[in-house]
Amino acid sequence: MYHVTLFSHFRLHASTKRLLMYRLFLIAFFIPVFGFSQEKFTVNGYIKDSSNGEELIGVTVYVPEIQTGTITNPYGFYSLTLVPGKYKLQYSYVGFSSQTVEIQLGKNESLNIDLVNEATQMQEVIVKAERLDANVTNLQMSKRQINMDQVRKLPAVLGEVDIIKNIQMQPGVISAGEGTSSFFVRGGSADQNLILIDEAPIYDPSHLFGLFSVFNADVIKESELYRGGIPSRFGGRLSSILEVRTKDGNNKNRAASGGIGTMASRLMVEGPIKKDKSSFIVSARRSYVDVFLKAANQKNLVYFYDINAKLNWRHNNNNRFYLAFYNGRDEFKFDKTFGFGWGNATGTFRWNHLFSDRLFSNTTVIGSNFDYKLELKDAIQGFIWKSRLQQFSINNDLSYFINPKNELSFGYHLSYRRFQPGIIEPNTEGSIFTKVEIGKQFALDHALYIDNQQKLGDKVTLSYGARLSIFQTIGKSDIVLYDDPANNVVIKRRDTLQFGFFEKIKTFVNVEPRFSFRYLIDDKNSVKASYNRMVQNTHLITNGTVPLPFNTWNPSGYYLRPQLADQYAVGFFRNFNEHKYEFSVETFYKDLQNVTEFADNANVFFNQDLSVEFRQGKSKAYGVEFLAEKKEGKLTGFVSYTLSKVTRTIPGVNQGLEFAANYDRRNVVNATATYDLNPKWSFGSNFTYSTGRPITLPSGRYEYGGVYNADVITERNGYRLPAFHRLDLSATLTPKRNKDRKWKGQWVFSVYNVYNRKNPFTIYTRVPDGPTDGRKEARLVYLFPILPSVTYNFKF
Amino acid sequence: MKNSLNIFILIGIAGLLVSCEETITLDLDQTASKVVIEGLVTNETGKSYVKISKSTDFYQTGSTERITSAVVKLNNDRGEEVIFAHNPSGEKKQEGLYFASSSFKGEIGRTYNLSVSIGSQTYEAQDELFAVTKIDSLGYGVNDTEQEDPEIEGKFYETLLFTKEPSETKDYYLFKFYRNDTLDYSNDTDVYFTNDEGIDEKIDGFPSPVYYSLKDTATVEMYSISRNAFLFFSDMSNLLNGDGGMFSPPPANPRTNWSNGALGFFQTSAVSRETIIIKDEK
Repeated sequence: MYHVTLFSHFRLHASTKRLLMYRLFLIAFFIPVFGFSQEKFTVNGYIKDSSNGEELIGVTVYVPEIQTGTITNPYGFYSLTLVPGKYKLQYSYVGFSSQTVEIQLGKNESLNIDLVNEATQMQEVIVKAERLDANVTNLQMSKRQINMDQVRKLPAVLGEVDIIKNIQMQPGVISAGEGTSSFFVRGGSADQNLILIDEAPIYDPSHLFGLFSVFNADVIKESELYRGGIPSRFGGRLSSILEVRTKDGNNKNRAASGGIGTMASRLMVEGPIKKDKSSFIVSARRSYVDVFLKAANQKNLVYFYDINAKLNWRHNNNNRFYLAFYNGRDEFKFDKTFGFGWGNATGTFRWNHLFSDRLFSNTTVIGSNFDYKLELKDAIQGFIWKSRLQQFSINNDLSYFINPKNELSFGYHLSYRRFQPGIIEPNTEGSIFTKVEIGKQFALDHALYIDNQQKLGDKVTLSYGARLSIFQTIGKSDIVLYDDPANNVVIKRRDTLQFGFFEKIKTFVNVEPRFSFRYLIDDKNSVKASYNRMVQNTHLITNGTVPLPFNTWNPSGYYLRPQLADQYAVGFFRNFNEHKYEFSVETFYKDLQNVTEFADNANVFFNQDLSVEFRQGKSKAYGVEFLAEKKEGKLTGFVSYTLSKVTRTIPGVNQGLEFAANYDRRNVVNATATYDLNPKWSFGSNFTYSTGRPITLPSGRYEYGGVYNADVITERNGYRLPAFHRLDLSATLTPKRNKDRKWKGQWVFSVYNVYNRKNPFTIYTRVPDGPTDGRKEARLVYLFPILPSVTYNFKF
Repeated sequence: MKNSLNIFILIGIAGLLVSCEETITLDLDQTASKVVIEGLVTNETGKSYVKISKSTDFYQTGSTERITSAVVKLNNDRGEEVIFAHNPSGEKKQEGLYFASSSFKGEIGRTYNLSVSIGSQTYEAQDELFAVTKIDSLGYGVNDTEQEDPEIEGKFYETLLFTKEPSETKDYYLFKFYRNDTLDYSNDTDVYFTNDEGIDEKIDGFPSPVYYSLKDTATVEMYSISRNAFLFFSDMSNLLNGDGGMFSPPPANPRTNWSNGALGFFQTSAVSRETIIIKDEK
């Protein structure tokens, strides 16, 4: 078949690649279309939650007569093109009662469906239609959908429900430790995850340096993590896509909900603007550590907040509009003199349009801003330091539902990015500082993609496609040339090249083939395989394990080549006991090129010659992931086990020798469970175990300069921290009296780190306090002891 | 400046994460000890020295071993050679220290090469001696924050440095603060160094990081250092103040100008110095 041959040709040189790419577009466009001749009609529509009008993503629409079906897209839309006849369409979705609709298809039809949430109805027996099971039958592998209903019942640190903490428990995902919002997917670094909120990228997902994430659980409707087999509509990062979609707002009734927690409180208001047509949702969250600090007469101030807002207008089935905003910030002030803060702001305008019954279009205009600021108020040493990264994008994504056997996705994404790494200004008259700015950089990023998902008979489904990424760094910029850009000791500037407004500086063209395959052994067993190449042109180079908001993003250009990843994955999927239990095992191999690090001893703070500190090299990751999950019934949850390894080899780092990546953890076991005892009580638990992360420890010590007692270092990441493990428990109380009143309250009690394990965060060395005999000591830092918390949630 | 930013950020993080810690015993591999050479040549007579010692195991108690039998030679770019002799005074506490003849002093603008032979091994390093900015005057004042909650009763005065820092040259500095003729640090992992990037020419009252009491004699020394020395001290500061690689970079040996795997640095500096006695409250 043509895609297979094309596939192997992608290793040819660029010019041939481009030609092949062009052909691929043509072929993919037309071949499947030639396949049909008999007159067919289309049934399409949106599937919604009957209680609030929220569109449901990933609903299975199954047609038993032809033993095939489809699932709703990220906007809740489905389209099926069938020969005329009588059909029983079965709509099913986890947590909702299934519905079967009989239709006599003799013309194109719109069929919007409202599914009823099981949790909101009485305890009547629900007759379930036979449904296809996503775990086994979906083509997509290496994807996890995060069930928010379940996450809300699970224990959370200080009672603050955090989706990133749940992501960190998924198979193939590694956490740097507790208290961080970074996650590492299949050997990828933290900046290789594309984190999207309503399609807008979030450049730093952390609050309070990672104690919490920017995602307020109240407004999250759906979130998915792709760690392999990444569809061609996504690009720009190597290792994973975390796609978070917020609620559209209840378009039937006005409602409010919120919570009062140990750490922060939340309030959300939603309701129809015009019933069934348009709705709004506004949600806010703010921490109040600062209130406690003030009460304790502390002069330090620490807080964060988030605001999410969304408007949507369903004009008709053919035109729907959404407008979404997110804004969140962290602010720190110490002694009224020193302060810093950072924040993300995003905006998304989306237009879903049906060009025809079978051609669905999503046009999105996106803005994203990330900035941070540090300020010291002082007569002599006063300064303010600001940094900013902005992105504007226009994306057009189209789905063409050719026939039940072929679904074509294609689109064009255009992004403009403005990097302002830093500007320092004095903030007083007498300050010793002068204004210095590190050169701004600009980039234009075009991406074209096409992907066809094709069913071959009953057993085989495949998808094949590619993404063409054209990344350009453009002016207005000055590029400094160095005699030796890999020498950060003697920095010799040779020349400065000046580029005008929008003048091309460097162009990087990359073709990213994507391929997925599923073979259905029977209705309970399947085998899947995937290959994807990913390209990353915006790099966050960090020298710690966890990125700080103060690390700056840099585009590919004179001194940074695009990062590339080739990932191969194979998996076996099986369901047991009438699909009640799901099981999967996946194995992956990932080959990464041009991964970024800072040179040993790099000077990363406000360095005007930062580019001489960049180093790029190779990384390799492989592993196997097991997952068993139960999605229905009183007891739900999953157990995952990941065995993996990731190494890096980078000239200029660790003397160019291979070393274990900071986030290399050999064995990781995670388990979550929730148990609904009765309508009043439900319980949740988390357990996590992982091999300690690699750490660089001293091999000796020496005296210097009369006072210093310094460590001798021999090897990067030559040691490991002790293993990390922890058990958390929670109980949710929903009082019975809720039933008869509008105000519905709920208590969540949780205990974090039940057996009070001192889990290693890091180890540092020091000379002990007090009289010393010259000896140094190592200090193990751990974060959370046993931590009980109570959260009160309400709805009215 | 860069250093102070680093420290601020670390303080912020440490203060934020309500963390606990405890001492643990590391199971470390035994490694061969390394030669550590601390060389200083200044433009003042009697102030140049070379100190040679060895690194030891992390958990080894006591002072590190001194090397007393090295051959230490200093050459400049005019081909002049000076021999540094081991501990001419014979005092026990000066063991491992090598000095030139009492009349020797470094010259501004010269490049120096220091060669240290220990047994069959020879270590060499080079550094250039740059001119230093003159301290125009020293003042002092009360540090308000320290006065509110002084670590030691009455010790909350800071010296204030006045100078003109030439903006047309790229300069690097190391500072030393003395309290009654004793070298003082606010913390024994502090390294006081800076470059002049983003620094205005006019420095009016730059405060000291160490505090003084009434009647104290305060001395500030400003050393010119090369870029290589600046990198060494910057790396040293990162090494001494790292968090183990969570947010900060993983620890690494400071970049050195020594050949053959020796630790430490050979530094050549011009020195400017001012002294003031803290008399009364201003």
